[in-house]
Amino acid sequence: MSAAHNASYLSRIKPGWKFGSLLVLSIGLYLISSWQVLLVAFILSVALLASARVDLKQLRAPLISIVIILGVVFILLGIQTNWLNAVSSVLRLLTMCLLAYSVSLSTRFSEMLELFQQVASPIRVVGGNPDQVALALSMTIRFIPELKKVYNEVREAQHARGLANNPLAVTVPLVIRSLKIADETAEALDARGFDSAPANH
Amino acid sequence: MSLSTSTSQTKNTVYIAIFAAMIAAMGLLPPITLGIIPVPITLQTLGVMLAGALLGPWRGAMASLVVVVLALAGLPLLAGGRGGLGVLLGPTGGYLVGWILGSFIIGALFKYWVLRVTGKTAQFLAGLASVTAGGIGGIYLCGVPWTAMVTGLDFGTSLLGSAAFLPGDLFKAVVTTLVALTVHRSYRGLMK
Repeated sequence: MSAAHNASYLSRIKPGWKFGSLLVLSIGLYLISSWQVLLVAFILSVALLASARVDLKQLRAPLISIVIILGVVFILLGIQTNWLNAVSSVLRLLTMCLLAYSVSLSTRFSEMLELFQQVASPIRVVGGNPDQVALALSMTIRFIPELKKVYNEVREAQHARGLANNPLAVTVPLVIRSLKIADETAEALDARGFDSAPANH
Repeated sequence: MSLSTSTSQTKNTVYIAIFAAMIAAMGLLPPITLGIIPVPITLQTLGVMLAGALLGPWRGAMASLVVVVLALAGLPLLAGGRGGLGVLLGPTGGYLVGWILGSFIIGALFKYWVLRVTGKTAQFLAGLASVTAGGIGGIYLCGVPWTAMVTGLDFGTSLLGSAAFLPGDLFKAVVTTLVALTVHRSYRGLMK
């Protein structure tokens, strides 16, 4: 999830600040054990999410999954320890997730990626190449729809042979064709002179 | 800089990207259910296991890392269309970190052990042991304590919770081993 058209005040804060605050707040939440304080934090995080005017449609699926997991956690913790402890734990996790959603939904995907690449840039010191990292990330996004297409084609072909539900008959051709696509792409990149090695002259 | 270095570097990057895309694409497929097992199996970790078994430790771990980075940056690439920073901070965030360790372990064992074993049955057993060690052992090793730490549940309960996914994961380990050994036979030199 990320912000496509979020124009709230949160989207104007630098991603690095948002990310840093999220880390500090998450650590802070673990230092608090009083359920009253955690309840206040939870209400504040709901207020933050609401004030950021985020796209709530994107939140439905992740919220359902987190509520199911936390429901189980709540019951188990309540039985094992005590119910106040369970309330604190669930409030803390919900607060952290809402804060994280607030950051994710008010930050564009490209901004977030740029931040990660900045954080990763010290890999240059140990011989890593940030250009290769950028290439890998953008190529992955481009390959996903292509692989979905390959998967559907393989499945159709195996369906004709009565093998559509045989995991090996589907996965082996999928992997082989993926490797061929990778080989062709690498050759094409080389032929076009994509020199990703760091310049050392 | 010699041409051969940059060529193999580009090829490594493309291989990492195609397997990262495979992990992501497998997360988009609908989960399957096996007759007796109550928990639906998502195919995403099949991709994580395959990346290690086919690309080796470093490139395999990088493929998993790329998916984790793209998902945390906001793409809905994880099973069920999840993504964003909340995934890492939630109770199951450790499993995501475990993918990186898991594909690394599988890759190392395949590269230095499984591919050198002779005999079909022996190689299959070595492969299955490796995929199980990395794809189940390595992933749970990060996931189980993470859940325990984040929720405050005790370690045993957290471990018991993950046991529900064990049959599905074992099934994926068998598929990964068979697929990886078949592909290595027809596509030699994947892990030079």
